Amino acid sequence: MPARSDWRYFDRTLLIAVVALCGIGIAMIYSATANTVDLADYWQRQLIFLGIGLVGLFVVAAIDYRHLELLAQPAYLAFLLSLVAVFLVGTDNNTGARRWLDIGITVVQPTEAGKFALIIFLSWYLSRFQEHLHRISYLLGAVFLLVLPLVLVYVQPDLGMTITYLFIGGVLILVSGVRLWQVALLGGMGLAALPFLWGTLQGYMLERIRIFLDPQSNPDASFNVIQALISIGNGGLWGMGWLNGSQNQLHFLRVRHSDFIFSVIAEELGFVGTTLVLALLFFVIARLVRIADRAQDEFGRLITLGVAALLFFQTAINVGMNMGLAPVTGMTLPFLSYGGSSLVSMLMAVGLAQSVIMRHRTIDFLT
Amino acid sequence: MSLQARHSPRTSFLLYLGLTTVFLVLVARLYQLQVVQGPTFRSAANANRLRRIDLPPPRGVIYDSRGEILARNRPSFGLAIVPEDLPADDLDTPVDERALAIRKLLLLLQADRDPELALELGESLFLFLGRTDFTQTLRRAGIEVTFRVVNVSVAEDTPEGPVVHEVPTIIPDLSRPLPLTGLSALLYRAVELKSQGSALEPVPILERLEREQAFAIAEELYQLPGVQVLEEPVREYPYQEMVSHVLGFLGPIPAGALSLYQERGYTDINEQVGLNGLEFTYQDALRGQPGRKFVEVDILGREVRTVGQPVEPVPGFNLRLSLDIRLQEVMYQALARKAEEVNAPNAVAIAMDPQTGAILGMVSLPGFDNNIFSEGIGEEYLALEQDERRPLINYAIGGLYPPGSTFKLVSATAALAEGVITPFTVIVDNGPIYLPNRFFPDDPEQAQKFVSWNHKLGIVHGPLNVVDAMRLSNDIFFYLIGGGFPNQMQGLGEERLAKWTRLFGFGELTGIDLPGEVAAPVPDDQWKRQRLAESWTTGDSYNMSIGQGYLLATPLQVLVSTAAVANGGQVLQPRLAQELIDAEGQVVWRAEPTVIRELPVSPELLGVVQRGMWAAVNEPGGTAIASQVEGVTVAGKTGTAEFCEWDPEIEDCAYRTEEGNLPFHAWYVAYAPYEDPEIALVVFLYNGGEGSAVAVPVAQEILDAYFNRLRP
Repeated sequence: MPARSDWRYFDRTLLIAVVALCGIGIAMIYSATANTVDLADYWQRQLIFLGIGLVGLFVVAAIDYRHLELLAQPAYLAFLLSLVAVFLVGTDNNTGARRWLDIGITVVQPTEAGKFALIIFLSWYLSRFQEHLHRISYLLGAVFLLVLPLVLVYVQPDLGMTITYLFIGGVLILVSGVRLWQVALLGGMGLAALPFLWGTLQGYMLERIRIFLDPQSNPDASFNVIQALISIGNGGLWGMGWLNGSQNQLHFLRVRHSDFIFSVIAEELGFVGTTLVLALLFFVIARLVRIADRAQDEFGRLITLGVAALLFFQTAINVGMNMGLAPVTGMTLPFLSYGGSSLVSMLMAVGLAQSVIMRHRTIDFLT
Repeated sequence: MSLQARHSPRTSFLLYLGLTTVFLVLVARLYQLQVVQGPTFRSAANANRLRRIDLPPPRGVIYDSRGEILARNRPSFGLAIVPEDLPADDLDTPVDERALAIRKLLLLLQADRDPELALELGESLFLFLGRTDFTQTLRRAGIEVTFRVVNVSVAEDTPEGPVVHEVPTIIPDLSRPLPLTGLSALLYRAVELKSQGSALEPVPILERLEREQAFAIAEELYQLPGVQVLEEPVREYPYQEMVSHVLGFLGPIPAGALSLYQERGYTDINEQVGLNGLEFTYQDALRGQPGRKFVEVDILGREVRTVGQPVEPVPGFNLRLSLDIRLQEVMYQALARKAEEVNAPNAVAIAMDPQTGAILGMVSLPGFDNNIFSEGIGEEYLALEQDERRPLINYAIGGLYPPGSTFKLVSATAALAEGVITPFTVIVDNGPIYLPNRFFPDDPEQAQKFVSWNHKLGIVHGPLNVVDAMRLSNDIFFYLIGGGFPNQMQGLGEERLAKWTRLFGFGELTGIDLPGEVAAPVPDDQWKRQRLAESWTTGDSYNMSIGQGYLLATPLQVLVSTAAVANGGQVLQPRLAQELIDAEGQVVWRAEPTVIRELPVSPELLGVVQRGMWAAVNEPGGTAIASQVEGVTVAGKTGTAEFCEWDPEIEDCAYRTEEGNLPFHAWYVAYAPYEDPEIALVVFLYNGGEGSAVAVPVAQEILDAYFNRLRP
């Protein structure tokens, strides 16, 4: 049942929505860095990253996603090996957490690319053994393959990334047609593991959780969280206008061009504008779910849902963090936050979904 | 090869449902933050970015009667730290960002290379922190500070005249400038202390920077969040000690009076307010209304722009006095010269327009330079505080002395008005009189002897009328009109003496527009019973009618009584300020002469008293002949007041003469021209000696200058 690539099925609506988000992102980065001399060219850089990312998007879309099945196992293996390498010879890049590999020219963080390795590998596993998943051994196999990198990431320590992996993996396992009792069993196991995990939580993680639960407990550390809330509230219904947010322009808001870009949007565009931006983000995610619904095979469906889960999780956590609903983790807002690798990889992930939708028609008859 | 996709409508539905739910939750939260709580956060954002800056109004200038500037404002530059705007210590990093910022500031100021600056910093921090904190902070920083004892010169009164002592005072030995680590620690401590209070308030660390130096630092300030160059006006008194008692000085609001000032609308506890003299009395008028503006600041506390319409400060009113600085200068010089000559520890001269009560000049010695208060409280101030002559007191209104024979104006007026004597009554001075003892009237041994000053010189004045008695300042005459003599003459007596003393303004404040005025109660029978548990005697009336005994008065009270004689019976309220003028030059307030009371005496009878004062200056044998001035007729009355300043150390009165007699204050009151008085004058020298020999020449010099040089 070979599928033919067909650019007629390329999801232009999705592309337009994504490019619109990136455009809004660049405009807001411009505003967030407008009067900071050493960051003033960041919007131009982001524009270049957007160009690179779009090229990547089309290249990925042009490639048949099914070839990725071949890459699934080596990619997973390479991912695990890199995590082990980080554990053994990694560098902490002066941050106190060992997350980077020094490869001579620069340092790399394997967990970034690892998201995609994990999506592809789990999608492969879950689609390959689709028929056997009702058997608990296969299901536990999937859980085991997920937990293996999770542990290595957790000990780095990188709580944010661990939870991201857990969420993506969990979503993929859940949508693969597990039974309700199996879900209950996995949930029970997770809960049973919690007390052990609590003991291993690093000091900084606890501190972040404590600040999240009670921002006044450490005014210095929660400064930015409070300033983000003030910025958002300051926007009101219609916003203070682009380039006019006082919290943003007078730098009361920190890391405003990346982690806290949402607060800049909220302050300058107000409730109306921000709701539109949020709607656009959720539209993109829903569009990915729609593509998954139409995917021609289970592998295509799962990788699209994996990308959707990733997008959803980062959006929800970042927006939640800005609005004081989630603890501060260094998670960026997809398409909007400043950051080259994040933007390019997100656009390529969208390309992956495009690759799936372009090949969703099986050829039952030849014309 | 993967299998056919598992398109379950139920899964898709759940996914969409989940997405929608999360979306709605986020939008709801957004709505809550932006719309429901929006106004709250808006004000929080405004609190972040808006800062209220008080704009101090320029303080009013004080002019003399001819427009000469007596008090003005000079710009001065200082450096201050705003603790709130300093970087806070980021707890996630091992370094202390605040300490780094402070160090950076000190390096920028070149505190490590400029020993003078380091010294000045050390001194101002010593004053800010106090000795204990200063020492402990340095000790924690590993620096031992040694203290050295300096001798502050302090003058002390002794019977042999003022002696200058060296009083040891402990100050930190800053002869070698503190090292950078020490200064850093001190500054850090100062900021820490201030952060506990209002962190937005600047902590001054350097004052009185040169203009160029201040500008140079201001240019570097962009590197230094939380550091401000302040421009603060400093009050300047060009005539220094010459008018310091009249003008007073400024200082920060005293802690004890804080609530009083707050009620009057003062918000900044560091605001400089008038603490003495006219600066105190006219504080609110001179101060003006502070303005304010709101500025937008960024997170580093740097001003970005002004928001809204600033409320401009309303400048304080200018104050014009009746005092003529040229006359003041003459008075100061003449008095100071004489005070030095006779070793008087303090002395007073006051000139007043007897028609209006306007003060033309007022000198109290010793003087002090009121500029030293503008320069912060330093060693000079300590020296002043410890000077036993107490130069800060304005003795013109704050010193109480027996008025001596100058009081004969009052006794003479009273006796004439009450009909005790007529202008033609003659009393004979045959030498000392012996007042029989009340309980043993027939025993001459127990009689009390009263002498007149001339008896000591072996002179008797013979028959005298009131004008003669005033001319010669004969005491016998006044003893008898004051106390009478048993079976021979009815005197004024205790009650009428006290009544007329009060009528002339003794026993009450004159009400001059200066703080610190004092008054002593007029002694009478009741007073004596309460104070000394004894009844009033005829002898007490004798003493009182020549201005001795229990009566005490300030030089200003004596002057007011003199003016009342000169102007025909009006007791006036003396006043220094004449006009308040706003910034546009409009007079907003003008002093009106205030008559406290009219003396119940006919102009004819008062004319007799005036005649007595005229005779003292212009007739042969008058005690004040030496105060004659060319071209003008002067009238006057001398006073030589015996006093006892009890010195507990020697258990006797201080300043006794070589023969063991009590010492004298020298007094002289005068007015001129006799026909139409323009100026009334009092000269007083503590322990000065004979009024006619000591006080009269000073008055002559002043009156001569006034009529022959200064008066247009």
